[in-house]
Amino acid sequence: MPAVALLLAGCGEGAWLNRRSAGPTGGFLEANRQDPALSGQGRFLASVVERSGRATLLLQEQPGGTVIRLRHFQGHQPHSSPSLSWTGRYVAALVQQGAQRVALIEDRATGALHRLPLPADRTAVRLSLAPDARRLAVQVAQRGQWRVQAFDLTGLLEPDLPGGMAVQGGGPGAPP
Amino acid sequence: MKRLLSATLLAGLLSGCMGSMPLPIGPLNRQLESLGANRDPSLSGRWLALISGKGGREQVVLVDLERQQPLPLPGLNRADAQPVSVSVDSAGERIALVRQLEGRTELVLYRRSLQSLQPIAMVPSGVPRQVQLQADGRQMAVQVSRAGLWQVDLVQIP
Repeated sequence: MPAVALLLAGCGEGAWLNRRSAGPTGGFLEANRQDPALSGQGRFLASVVERSGRATLLLQEQPGGTVIRLRHFQGHQPHSSPSLSWTGRYVAALVQQGAQRVALIEDRATGALHRLPLPADRTAVRLSLAPDARRLAVQVAQRGQWRVQAFDLTGLLEPDLPGGMAVQGGGPGAPP
Repeated sequence: MKRLLSATLLAGLLSGCMGSMPLPIGPLNRQLESLGANRDPSLSGRWLALISGKGGREQVVLVDLERQQPLPLPGLNRADAQPVSVSVDSAGERIALVRQLEGRTELVLYRRSLQSLQPIAMVPSGVPRQVQLQADGRQMAVQVSRAGLWQVDLVQIP
């Protein structure tokens, strides 16, 4: 079966739309793949796969599935809730740092890492990075209730716009 | 005058120090607080879609970030449906939604200008769990449960 098989939406309930499987998971064939996130024009797909029993962020170019290595996420599993900017320059996700779930944003163009500090009484659950990288929304659990909080990133990140150049590979400092 | 100078100096220092920090968007966060419990945020363009609950019932809310106000979504929310996952494109035109309705889980695509709701089939059959629209609205990534595995489908949108 081809790795990137074209499938047609079939009969039954709902519309017929062209679709395909996201394909192999970079050496983790048959693994569970969760939390998908596409860059603004679909060139990159981030998802979370099981790697040695740990939920690990996987960034792949589409449609071929080439794995793009990231510099800052290794060693901070479990990863969850990835989110990409328009060209895929910025990769945001929740990671584990000590006892805390922390939102990280990796800039693949510069290799820089940005960490979103949250008050100790809040646990990050999900996040969404705006495609232009101007804002970040984080779902937190606080005193047993879910809340969404929005953050302004304009002083932190350069905007990533639809016409921008996609970053090739993992950027400066990425592992080979 | 002295107090004004001190305040100006403090503001300047803060903006200098905090220029490299993500800053909470106070007015928007207060607006979100007023909606009740919120989850599953999706940012794109000037839009924030999320699932919001008050009094035990959850619904999809679309917030215009420039006006910091929720917009009406006629035909999208149903009292007997439970939203699971939501995503909006950068034009604020398309909203993809996974919801539970009448005992089954389905993926639907809402077009705001048409106020239309289109069910999207899972093929091969599977149970959708999570959806994300790419910002240009031309494709969505769907997390689907099939035969005990989580898979991801990429679905083109005409």
